[in-house]
Amino acid sequence: MGEFWAGLAEAVRLIVSGDREVREIALRTVYVSGAATALAMLAGVPAGYALARSRFPGRMLVLGAVNTGMGMPPVVVGLVVWLLLVRSGPLGGLELIYTKEAMVIAQFLIATPLVIGFTTAAVQALPPELPELLQMLGAGRLRRLWLLAREARLGLLAAVMAGFGGVVSEVGASMAVGGNLQGQTRVLTTAIVTETSRGNTERALALGIILLAMAFAVNLVLTRVQQRAR
Amino acid sequence: MEVCFWEVEARKQGRMVLEVPELALGRRATTAVLGPNGAGKTTLLRLAAGLERPARGEVLLDGEPAERAGPRRAAFAFQRAVFLRGTVRENLDLALRLRGADAAERRRRIARAAELCGVGQLLERDALQLSGGEAQRVNLARALALEADLVLLDEPLSGLDGPSRESLLADLPEMLAASRATVVLVTHDRDEALLLAQELVLLLGGRVEAQGPAGQVFRRPPTLAAAAFLGYTVVGRRAIRPGALALGGGTPVIRFTVERVVDLGTQLAAEGRAEGRVVRAAVPPGAAPPAPGDEAAASAPPDAVLTYGDDGRLAE
Repeated sequence: MGEFWAGLAEAVRLIVSGDREVREIALRTVYVSGAATALAMLAGVPAGYALARSRFPGRMLVLGAVNTGMGMPPVVVGLVVWLLLVRSGPLGGLELIYTKEAMVIAQFLIATPLVIGFTTAAVQALPPELPELLQMLGAGRLRRLWLLAREARLGLLAAVMAGFGGVVSEVGASMAVGGNLQGQTRVLTTAIVTETSRGNTERALALGIILLAMAFAVNLVLTRVQQRAR
Repeated sequence: MEVCFWEVEARKQGRMVLEVPELALGRRATTAVLGPNGAGKTTLLRLAAGLERPARGEVLLDGEPAERAGPRRAAFAFQRAVFLRGTVRENLDLALRLRGADAAERRRRIARAAELCGVGQLLERDALQLSGGEAQRVNLARALALEADLVLLDEPLSGLDGPSRESLLADLPEMLAASRATVVLVTHDRDEALLLAQELVLLLGGRVEAQGPAGQVFRRPPTLAAAAFLGYTVVGRRAIRPGALALGGGTPVIRFTVERVVDLGTQLAAEGRAEGRVVRAAVPPGAAPPAPGDEAAASAPPDAVLTYGDDGRLAE
């Protein structure tokens, strides 16, 4: 327990003292995971809606793939993205490997199945007559989508939380495609691995506490919005 | 408003579910589309609303294709009352806002529909917390608040318990009359159809089996199949009006072996089978009821017995 309290004290010291490196790492973490989650929402919400509402051959296969994707090991995603982006890979010419953008791509691929899965469940939980009711009331296509999204907002906010929570805490993909470069691609999770391997457990624990506090703060905001929407 | 079906065919997964060469609804204020499950009733209603397009033919509302006119001129109350999150008032208000009514008009129409449907005390309640009966009344109130030319009701009394159903059944004719709209409602219940509608369309197997003034269709079903669905006892080419059979009496119209005697509350009835169909004949007051296994003969007043031709159509 002694190490825990020491880590907590170190975390408070790092936050209060405004340690420049920690601040940069924390901001980079928010940037990478925030951008990945936002992109996953842009792609995943329409895809989840379509998957919930449409019937087509192979739908069960797609749903099965999405559900598998929701539990995909980040390190596997990182490996695939690394193979694509590495200089000798098919997308090597883009020179994205070991950049923040590569990390956003990998985290986007991790978060998107989560967003699709949660959105599909949220839309399927709505009464099936609702879209036709709105159509009969004269709501156009966009208005219908907006009203249905508003109706499914509890589930959609859960999708944001699941997506952000899934990527902000992953380490395998960020390590593989970001390379954990100091001052460039190091994020809180990869920094924790580095500090632990150096034997700086107090600092590693402090970074972990900051990561948890950050994830908690983001989720608290989303939870407040979600519960106000009830 | 006149709803016209012209050479209409509707299919589901390649299977024909509705085939209507020609049908006009709306000549009388309320039309009931009656038929068993799977007869195509809801499909007919959805076509009129423009929610589905026919595989062939046309559905016109006052000459305009239903898929264009429906969302502007029709109100549809789904079988299951569904609402958005919020109060009853918010749900009614949203419906009217989507139809372009201004704030003052919305307030007026909500108040009128609420009074008409007896849901004034429910306006501030959470719409998702209503009981079955309350939800159906609010469902109707939302449809009537639109003050549409055409009101389409899909099984408006389904899923209600006895007292709620009786209460709504008693109030519905007045609500529908006050709306001044052309009303088309779907039901599988003969009594509901007769109590609520002036016009009856009987659908069997996706085809119109009978159409006309409700009482007339019931008194003189044009085909044996229609008579059987309307509760007539069909034996051979004869159909006997529901409730008209009694044991003994004049010339017997039917003989059967009694399987059991049932107490219907106000009278006893002997039940058995003739030509594979269930026959129920009243035991006259004061007469000794037959025992299971007895041979029984039942008669009916002459005007309660209809005779059909070889083609199954009512003989003149």
